[in-house]
Amino acid sequence: MELVVAQDVGKDYQAGDIIVKALKKINFTLASGAFTAFVGPSGSGKTTLLNLIGCLDKPTEGKLTVAGVDVSTLDRKQSAIFRGKNIGFIFQDFNLIPVLTVYENIEYPLLMVQNVPPAEREKRVMALLAAVGMTEQKGKYPDQISGGQKQRVAIARALVINPKLVLADEPTANLDHKTAKLVIELMKKMRDELKTTFIFSTHDPKVVGEAETIFTLEDGDLETRNMNGGKKNA
Amino acid sequence: MNYSYIYKELIHHRHRTLVNILGIGVGIALFVSINAVSTAYQEAISLPFKNLGADIVVQRPEKRAIDSSQAPAAMRGIRVPFSNQLLPEEDIAKLASIDGVAGTASSLLLWEFDKGGFRTIMGVDLLKPGLGPVKVKEWIRDGRFPQKEGEAVFEKHYAKFHHVTAGDTVTIGGRSFTIVGLLEIREGSQIASANIYLALDDAQKLLPGDVRGVNVIYLRLQNPSLLGKVKTEIAGQVKGVSVTSSDSFLELMGGVSKISEQFSMLASVIAFGGALFLIIKTMLTNLVARSNEIGILKAVGWTGKDVRKQLIGEALVQSLAGGVLGLFIGYSISYLIGFLEIPIATPWEINLMPAFAKDTEAASKVVRLPVSISAGLIMASIVLSVVTGAISSYFMGMRTGKMKPADILRRL
Repeated sequence: MELVVAQDVGKDYQAGDIIVKALKKINFTLASGAFTAFVGPSGSGKTTLLNLIGCLDKPTEGKLTVAGVDVSTLDRKQSAIFRGKNIGFIFQDFNLIPVLTVYENIEYPLLMVQNVPPAEREKRVMALLAAVGMTEQKGKYPDQISGGQKQRVAIARALVINPKLVLADEPTANLDHKTAKLVIELMKKMRDELKTTFIFSTHDPKVVGEAETIFTLEDGDLETRNMNGGKKNA
Repeated sequence: MNYSYIYKELIHHRHRTLVNILGIGVGIALFVSINAVSTAYQEAISLPFKNLGADIVVQRPEKRAIDSSQAPAAMRGIRVPFSNQLLPEEDIAKLASIDGVAGTASSLLLWEFDKGGFRTIMGVDLLKPGLGPVKVKEWIRDGRFPQKEGEAVFEKHYAKFHHVTAGDTVTIGGRSFTIVGLLEIREGSQIASANIYLALDDAQKLLPGDVRGVNVIYLRLQNPSLLGKVKTEIAGQVKGVSVTSSDSFLELMGGVSKISEQFSMLASVIAFGGALFLIIKTMLTNLVARSNEIGILKAVGWTGKDVRKQLIGEALVQSLAGGVLGLFIGYSISYLIGFLEIPIATPWEINLMPAFAKDTEAASKVVRLPVSISAGLIMASIVLSVVTGAISSYFMGMRTGKMKPADILRRL
């Protein structure tokens, strides 16, 4: 089943009098349950593409369908609601809320966005804490845990809403190689257990190898499509 | 609104929260104390009339005061003050019939000169117990107020100076009186302050000849807001009388009271504006620092409305806390200022003492500022602090409304 379909999707940015073409009419399809990487150097359009798929921004042209919804037609409020129900995010800088504990950081999308009842919240948060190996640290604040642990919490936070899709923008950029590999393996494990689609961007060649499908972006063009074994999507 | 997140955000950034609360607190404290003192000042000025239960005092100046070429009257025995003359019956009737006048009372103020000096004698209308200098009976410290002919009340300090006390018999204007009580003049009572108080009938009998007059009329209005209208009516209907009201004190205090009134308004606006500016600036600066957090919240599904609700909640909690703190500080400042005493000058036409006499008792001219925090001022302070929160929330809402999560996340 196709989860993400991009048809001639383009994105322009205005920089003063200059229009920068961040994405140039790209086309791709991703199946549900895929573990996909978008690779490319800085400025190639990876983050722009993830922002479009994550309804954080709108394409300038083309049609982008996520989970059957043409997200380019959603207004800001509809986009927010769509994100809250369907998409989890993992960021390069972890971006946990500093005033909330590990437990609360995972819980708040359920509490503040989905308004899930307390008993159900606790069940889901505790299950994810166990899955990412952070049960012992649940009462700690983000500044009391390591970078790798923060990213584990971020993965749990992304998954707690039972999203159809998790977008991870350079999730290992601030981690050492060993931790980066563990984080990617954890993401893969969660995909296998929960059947959630994972899309991540990276320019780290050691991490790229973990992806089942790799798209390469260069100056806004989707230049190559590289099947890396495992599931095949196109 | 997520109260737990609001609480955690404020507690976690306690220094920032304290700065905001203190900023609002200082603004509100200035607002409260300035307004309380200003109101106390006005209250102090209105005290002489309040003590009489009157809004207006009417007298008819003596002709000599207008025609200075006349020789001064003799300064021996009982006489009416130089500054006024007895009012004809028709004046009293006209004053009572003016629209807006709820009640009238009269008194006869006399001076008695002898070789030992002089004293002021006030004949009060016992039939109008709630209006005019008869109200001094509320200040009786010893004995009672006169009830029949031949009874007098002495002012406590005057009695002490002359070594007389309740029960003694004294001679006033050649007539014998029994002192039935002593009273102590209170603050702000200069237009009712005399050495001796008698029943009006007794005072009238002290005047030479069979004169049954009065020389001071006290008017109580149906509504204090009618003051200007009634004064105009009096000027039109009863020619040649002098009309005094609490705003006469205000005019006399002139500069000070007007400056106080205008200054309090200006200072309140500046204090409030300053606090508001500080809060908005601090909160907007904090907002920039929190833009990452807002970007994340928006990314996980918070709408602009959710973010605004959160920021409004934080701003309101800080504003209310600042308001309560400001009230406490403002009350403390006002309480301390309440120990100050201010001199209140008496308009010459209602000064009971001869111009050449020494000042009256200090208590009648120097007033301790009656500072108090009214329910209205408390409400105004709370409303102002909430308005501060609302305005700062509005600006923050405007700012966050323009924040696109993609732009924020791109900067991360």
